[in-house]
Amino acid sequence: MSDETTPATEEQLSFWDEHRFMLLIIGTLVIALVLVSVSIIIYKVSGSAQLDLSRPGYQSVSNKVDRTNLVTDYSAFGPVNKNTVNDFTTIYDSQAAKAKAVDAFNGDPLNPAVLEFSDPTASTE
Amino acid sequence: MKIRIRLVLFAMIAASLLSVFVLKNSYAADLSSDQITRIQANCLSIKGSLNQLHASDALLRVNRGQIYESVGTKLMDSFNSRLSNSGLDNKGLVSVANEYQAALTTFRMDYQAYEQQLSATIRIDCTKDPTTFHNALEDARTKRSTVHDDVTHLNQYIDDYRSAVNDFMLNFERVTGKN
Repeated sequence: MSDETTPATEEQLSFWDEHRFMLLIIGTLVIALVLVSVSIIIYKVSGSAQLDLSRPGYQSVSNKVDRTNLVTDYSAFGPVNKNTVNDFTTIYDSQAAKAKAVDAFNGDPLNPAVLEFSDPTASTE
Repeated sequence: MKIRIRLVLFAMIAASLLSVFVLKNSYAADLSSDQITRIQANCLSIKGSLNQLHASDALLRVNRGQIYESVGTKLMDSFNSRLSNSGLDNKGLVSVANEYQAALTTFRMDYQAYEQQLSATIRIDCTKDPTTFHNALEDARTKRSTVHDDVTHLNQYIDDYRSAVNDFMLNFERVTGKN
């Protein structure tokens, strides 16, 4: 009977009970930071960063992504005969020509001579 | 036996450290005082050129990459699956398609390495540290050349797959006797 009449305010709260709201906020922030860090690591390691033209420094080219040059799908199901194979080769030849149209990453733009700081005496050798 | 293994390990570590040292110095040795002065004087314009190249190469990677990805998944894989679904022998085509996919993976990784190296080069202050800048630039140059080699390999596999389709067709017509 005497136990039931003890006021709740007199109860001794532990440190965790007293600060649980603050701990909840801190815990939420820590989890969010961990998840964001993991996301950034995956973004960088997976190579997605290299394909992301919305990054700073790429604004000049971000609107030049070719969205019209889409490859036609060839169905994985259907009959195989001379006509269907010819259809495939027509599509394939067209796409192969597009793929090989540009000799990508050719040349030597990082050559000191191109960047105009080569040693002029070296070129005479 | 343990001593021998330790000796071999020591020799390997020493050799790799030496090669790194020699490589670093070989780049540094290429730089004359005149070149260092030029790098420092033209630092801003060199950085401008590198930034432009960085952006144009990124665009090239996206545009070329999507064509290469599509050729692999939408054409090669689909055609191989159709032949497989019809119970036809597609081993030759699958083999070339697998090599193409491996080359595509190498292209992705090499481009990533090149892009990271070029970004690191751009971040170096060439007025304060022209030698480090030059070394980083040479590294980026080598990596860009590797990416170009990868593109050449991919184009070669595209041609190889086309030849494999021709071979398949000849064999198919011979077996089925269809025109």
